[in-house]
Amino acid sequence: MAVTILTSESESTPAGARADGARLWLRSDELLTSTGWEMKPEGVCRGDVCVPLPPAQAATLLSERDGATWLDMAGFAEFIGQTYAHDAATESWYFGPGPEERRGQFDLLDAPDFELPDLEGRKHRLSDYRGKKVLLALWASW
Amino acid sequence: MWQVLRSELASQNFEIITVGCDAKGAEVEREFIEIANPEYPCLIDTKFVVTELYNTRNVPALFWIDESGRIVRGNDPAYMTRRDPETGIRTPNERYMDVVRDWVKNGSESIYVTSNDVTQERLGASDESNQQAMAHFRLGVHLDSHGQHAEAVEQFKAALALKPDNWNYRRQAYNLGNADEYGMTMQEAMQAVGPMYAVALQLPDAPKT
Repeated sequence: MAVTILTSESESTPAGARADGARLWLRSDELLTSTGWEMKPEGVCRGDVCVPLPPAQAATLLSERDGATWLDMAGFAEFIGQTYAHDAATESWYFGPGPEERRGQFDLLDAPDFELPDLEGRKHRLSDYRGKKVLLALWASW
Repeated sequence: MWQVLRSELASQNFEIITVGCDAKGAEVEREFIEIANPEYPCLIDTKFVVTELYNTRNVPALFWIDESGRIVRGNDPAYMTRRDPETGIRTPNERYMDVVRDWVKNGSESIYVTSNDVTQERLGASDESNQQAMAHFRLGVHLDSHGQHAEAVEQFKAALALKPDNWNYRRQAYNLGNADEYGMTMQEAMQAVGPMYAVALQLPDAPKT
């Protein structure tokens, strides 16, 4: 079954992804494009963070197949404390921000940046308004 | 809704940005936005990106962001007044508009700008259980928008089991289905976990003039 991977701002359907019960095997190239995590000699890395895999974890989380390296992303998320949710019927997976993003989210009180469309589909980025005072108002119709 | 304030303050280096946090997006928001005839950006967030980034648990939620991009007052539940029966327009409450005027005029000297500690406290810490609940919620929104309603309900239930007092989750979930699916009416939920609008708008008294 096709696998859908969601993160805060992305959605992808990596062709090689393979769900196996509670495990989600992603080939290294698709791991990067779907989740931002990248396999490097020093570990599994994203941004400034590299997570070295101790031998016990490497033995269960990594697999060599078809000349490529695969990572069990669900197992890796559990190992590092990255939250995720899984719907088995549709093989849809949502991966939340990593613990490195959660820590100190508001320490500096920097307003988290985002880009969203208006009614006409024009994109606006919060940081485009840097230099002005901004009243940011969240609302809903319900 | 905010156009009155926008017209008045736009020349003072001030902008308003609204974010509609609603799975049904433009389809349900258009009416509200067009009636306000806004000159400020009204953005549409069907996937709850901003709700996750700003760690909110209900709407409305307002944030003040200064010229350098820092949050100087956060998570205000500033409710609109009732809809004007003739024009259909809702306006923010007058007291809150005065408070925003004070900030635009006085900047960091405004008595309504909160200290870093208070701002951080109001934003709250997005801990692991918040984020686990949010993962279920956002997966549920995705599933529902792809016609997988029954699977979405299971994710919403998981989110509400972790965070029964998150009104964004409950209101959106009930809006996409109905209360029966969750075994609890909105009233019963409020009896169980506290009123939906329990967080008061905390404002210091206006200075005497």
